[in-house]
Amino acid sequence: MGSMLGNLPSFDPHNFSQLRPSDPSNPSKMVPSTYRPTHSRTLPPPDQVIATEAKNILIRNIYQRAEEKLRSKRAATEHLIPEHGCKQTRPSTS
Amino acid sequence: MFKTNNVTSRIFERQIRTPAPGTSVHSARRFYENLVPSFTIYDVECPDHSFFKFTDDGQYFVCFSRNRQDLIVYRPTWLSFSCKGEDCDNNQELPPQVKRFESFFTQLYVKPLASCNELICKDFFLYMESNQFGIFATSTAQIQDARGTDGAILGVPSFEKITIHLFRLEDGFKLDEKVFHNDCVNLTHNMGAFLYDDLLAVVSLRYQTIHILQIRDSGNLVDVRAIGAYCREDDELFINSSSQLAGNRGDLVDNGTNHDQPNSNNSFLSGIKQRLLSFIFREIWSEETDQTQRVQCLKKKFYFHFQDYVDLVILKVQFLDRHHLLIKFGSVDVGASRNTDQLPAFFAVYNMETTEIVAFYQNAADELYLLFERFCDHFHATSINSMYMNFISSHSNNIHALEQLKSMKNKATSISQDSARHDNALLDTISSIVF
Repeated sequence: MGSMLGNLPSFDPHNFSQLRPSDPSNPSKMVPSTYRPTHSRTLPPPDQVIATEAKNILIRNIYQRAEEKLRSKRAATEHLIPEHGCKQTRPSTS
Repeated sequence: MFKTNNVTSRIFERQIRTPAPGTSVHSARRFYENLVPSFTIYDVECPDHSFFKFTDDGQYFVCFSRNRQDLIVYRPTWLSFSCKGEDCDNNQELPPQVKRFESFFTQLYVKPLASCNELICKDFFLYMESNQFGIFATSTAQIQDARGTDGAILGVPSFEKITIHLFRLEDGFKLDEKVFHNDCVNLTHNMGAFLYDDLLAVVSLRYQTIHILQIRDSGNLVDVRAIGAYCREDDELFINSSSQLAGNRGDLVDNGTNHDQPNSNNSFLSGIKQRLLSFIFREIWSEETDQTQRVQCLKKKFYFHFQDYVDLVILKVQFLDRHHLLIKFGSVDVGASRNTDQLPAFFAVYNMETTEIVAFYQNAADELYLLFERFCDHFHATSINSMYMNFISSHSNNIHALEQLKSMKNKATSISQDSARHDNALLDTISSIVF
């Protein structure tokens, strides 16, 4: 069959020579593959609600630092290395 | 994706392409790259008012009369004309209407604002964009030799009457007002007030109270709370009733009516002062675990400076969100002066709902500076409704602006090796941008 590009100049005329453009009278038999989960370990809990945190990031940060200070000082006798700020997800408290 | 600068192709692009979600304001503002002023008109005869300000949405132009008693509002209606022909750019002929003030502004109304012995504060104006409400202030002259009354601190001037007026700018209808008697509110450049959405915070310097007012859609100014001597609404009732039960208590003067304002004679500190001192105490207490070290630490850091902490006064306030306030404390000498930014300042974050101090920063703490460097946009608390604020470059969202800030800070701190001056340099950077 003729090149798909017709007579346009091309780098290598044999490129795309194997390609058969889809013909409406002969529909392709290819079906897109679907993927189904094999387990339900990663399903979200049924009562999960995702909402935007009402407190803005500055306020969140201020509260976080205050709590870290309190936590690290209380645990000062137990741990030799002070706790560095670890981010924990917590439900919206406002 | 090539972005063109040509205004015609930009208009075509606007017709055929939807901008990225949430950036419609930004796309519209980009047109200002193509529309630049090309003419200046001199010697236009203007009415004899003191011109003050355009509102942020460009709908109104606010002026005050020369005697500072009346409010005059104009609607900006820019003159437009078109030129047809080949040589339009070089054609300097403008229509004759251009020389008239009335071609650009239409007067909407003149309303008396201040009564006979009052003057309008010509630096004070807050605008509520959602309802097109404007907030103005008038005050009487300063009282010389202000007597110290119950609850008032000394060293702050007193004004017989300060009024905050709420106007509907569309038609100049006065909606409501809030009056402060024998008080001092720093009105220059809106320093003593902060508007956030529909909440207005006004700092009464003399009585050391933060008044939170809500502006309702109906136009009423509603008192929400007054933070100062009392934190919760029922504090006053509680303190009055418990002091009655306690009977004679040392320094309380029983005049028949219970004056329970905590002044310097009263050893009972209540309200926000109590919250602040107990927060500082608990912070220092939890720094050390060893009992004797704790007491030493407290002596050095708390009790030694106790009177200084007690003498701190509220200077400025701003909202961080609907429930949190950032309060600036300082010494009373700077209470009414203009240039408060050079002197030691303390910042506290206060939660109005739980009435707790969340954080306290002493005098240009590095922690506050770091927070400010990373979250500067949130210090300029604006309502979520103003879309254009999403696109303002600041050093928290733009690496080039951050570089500039860091180099400014390094220059300031490298010159001054002394740690006190380092603090001042830090404070300069913070104060220049916070508030």
